[in-house]
Amino acid sequence: MRILLVEDEPTLTTQLAESLRTAGYALDTADNGLDAHFLGDSEDYDAVILDLGLPQMDGITVLQKWRAGGRAMPVLILTARGGWHEKVAGIDAGADDYLAKPFHMEELLARLRALIRRAGGHASAELRCGPLALDTRHSRASVAGLNLTLTSHEYRVLAYLMHHPDEVVSRGTLTEHIYAQDFERDSNTVEVFIARLRKKLPPGIIETVRGLGYRITCPN
Amino acid sequence: MSELKATPQTSLRLRLLVGTLFWIVASIVAAGWGLSSLFRQHVMVQFHSELRTHLDQLTAHLALDAAGHPVLSQALSDPRLKRPYSGLYWQIDRIASDAAPANAAVLRSRSLWDQTLRIPRDALADGTLHQHRVAGPERATLGMQERSVQLDGVSLRLAVAADEKLMIEPIERFNTALWLAFGILGLGLALAALVQVFVGLAPLRKLQAALSLVRDGEALRLEGGFPKEIMPLVEDFNRVLAQNAEVVARARTQAGNLAHALKTPLSVLANAAAGKDDPLARQVLQQVDNARKQVDYHLARAQAAATARLPGARTPVTPIIDGLVRTMQHIHAARGLELRVQPVPSDLSFRGEAQDLQEMLGNLLDNACKWAAHRVEIEARMEQDRLVIQIDDDGVGISAEQRQAVLQRGVRADQQAPGNGLGLAIVADLATLYDSPMTLAASPLGGLRVSLSLPAASRTTR
Repeated sequence: MRILLVEDEPTLTTQLAESLRTAGYALDTADNGLDAHFLGDSEDYDAVILDLGLPQMDGITVLQKWRAGGRAMPVLILTARGGWHEKVAGIDAGADDYLAKPFHMEELLARLRALIRRAGGHASAELRCGPLALDTRHSRASVAGLNLTLTSHEYRVLAYLMHHPDEVVSRGTLTEHIYAQDFERDSNTVEVFIARLRKKLPPGIIETVRGLGYRITCPN
Repeated sequence: MSELKATPQTSLRLRLLVGTLFWIVASIVAAGWGLSSLFRQHVMVQFHSELRTHLDQLTAHLALDAAGHPVLSQALSDPRLKRPYSGLYWQIDRIASDAAPANAAVLRSRSLWDQTLRIPRDALADGTLHQHRVAGPERATLGMQERSVQLDGVSLRLAVAADEKLMIEPIERFNTALWLAFGILGLGLALAALVQVFVGLAPLRKLQAALSLVRDGEALRLEGGFPKEIMPLVEDFNRVLAQNAEVVARARTQAGNLAHALKTPLSVLANAAAGKDDPLARQVLQQVDNARKQVDYHLARAQAAATARLPGARTPVTPIIDGLVRTMQHIHAARGLELRVQPVPSDLSFRGEAQDLQEMLGNLLDNACKWAAHRVEIEARMEQDRLVIQIDDDGVGISAEQRQAVLQRGVRADQQAPGNGLGLAIVADLATLYDSPMTLAASPLGGLRVSLSLPAASRTTR
């Protein structure tokens, strides 16, 4: 899962980035409205955490431009402006959730998970596919109740596929969603992660669709 | 602003009317009295000069016959002197002397018929004129002129008298006509004064109407043209209104900026302390939480206190509720609640700032959504000129004692009874600023029912 964090306060950005990376997200950051708009417009994010008081272009405008341009990724507004008129304005500008500062990191993470889950049409924090379960709260996966030991990249690949069950996901899309923007990307590494995951998972859960990509098919 | 209300002075209209009427009556009475006495004087002079003419004629025609009796050489010309009791008379008395004894009425006009005049016996120098008022025939009062004449050793007293009615009747007729005319004039002037006061004070009534529009929140400033005597007042008032709005906006922005400037550092502090299990970290977290509550509480208060008494605000209720419900559906999406809004009459308006209504309802709805099991219901209606908004949830509710604690003013945010959060305290406080009682009760849905009775803006649409 790849996240865009837009926040202009450097200390808070560092803290958030640390918590988000620990939670298993690939993270890009922007500290002004123009960069934020450009990144959100050109990259494919699973969720955006957006501050409103930004230099160069304020957060509401950035959000409105994304929505006007057809960008539909879930956006969580994280701002010091906690008045209800501001919340209503934020939601009406196209935000999916609104969290006022100061906030508890757990709550932010919970809301982010719920947001990504809802965007994929999932109701529960735990995604299931046959014997395979993905616990988004703790960034863990288990098969028939036994925890799997996964690296963070392996987890991201599995999580993305689990959030999009029965869909063919290309290697390019997977690369987009598991790496931060400034990371040295190599789509061949996706094949390596898939191969490692297959060894840890029951056989046949991850299917290769020749020439297109990968698919998780859940029984029933 | 009841504390500024002064006992009203006498109405301006009444003062103007009473003043004008007083002067109208006073000048009419003075003019009438003056004219009337002038005329009376004129008539009196006329009356006596006529008597004198007759007396002169009488004197001229007087002669003595051979026996020494006075006779008239020629009859006097006025026909009234021949008609009995016509009101015009003459009479000649002989004054006692060496030659003859006194004899009243030796000669008199035919108009006296069988009567004689009683001429006061006073000694007169020859040729001087005397005026008297004497009783005449038919109980009339007569005005009289007399003189004494020596004719061949005979002293005679000549008198001409006329009924004063001849003088009083024209005066009375004149006075009647005069007071009638002055009465009509006074009435006309009074009407003119009334119209003038009415027309002259019309701009004040217009000003009052414009002000009540501002008070009811239907206008933000005094609209319309006014006479140039009032225009400066109107412009000043509009300036005060604009300045007021600006001060409020600035107070709001500054309170907001301060609060928001504090919140990011608070976030940093909280995050730095989070996840560490030492006493310092726990204390930091606790104090950050306290600070956040205090900032929210006082920010809401500062913003509402600045506006609750600001005239000219009017907020339609429906868009506010709709916006908040949309927001709740996103913020509490994970809870899968059913938010039901009872149909709101479209002309329902709150007399106050949109932000304050949003703050109150937002906190109430947020609270209801936090505690509801499945359902939250919102209803807004008019009840005896008040805008009543009622929010129900089907959660566990709060006990009667805790309800009491929430509504007590001055309960500090961190001493709130558990289970109602900060929201209700903020709302209770905002509601107090709007003189709007907030009541907590058990909801028919099973949880808490919160009702706000807010000032409604008048229903008239502009």
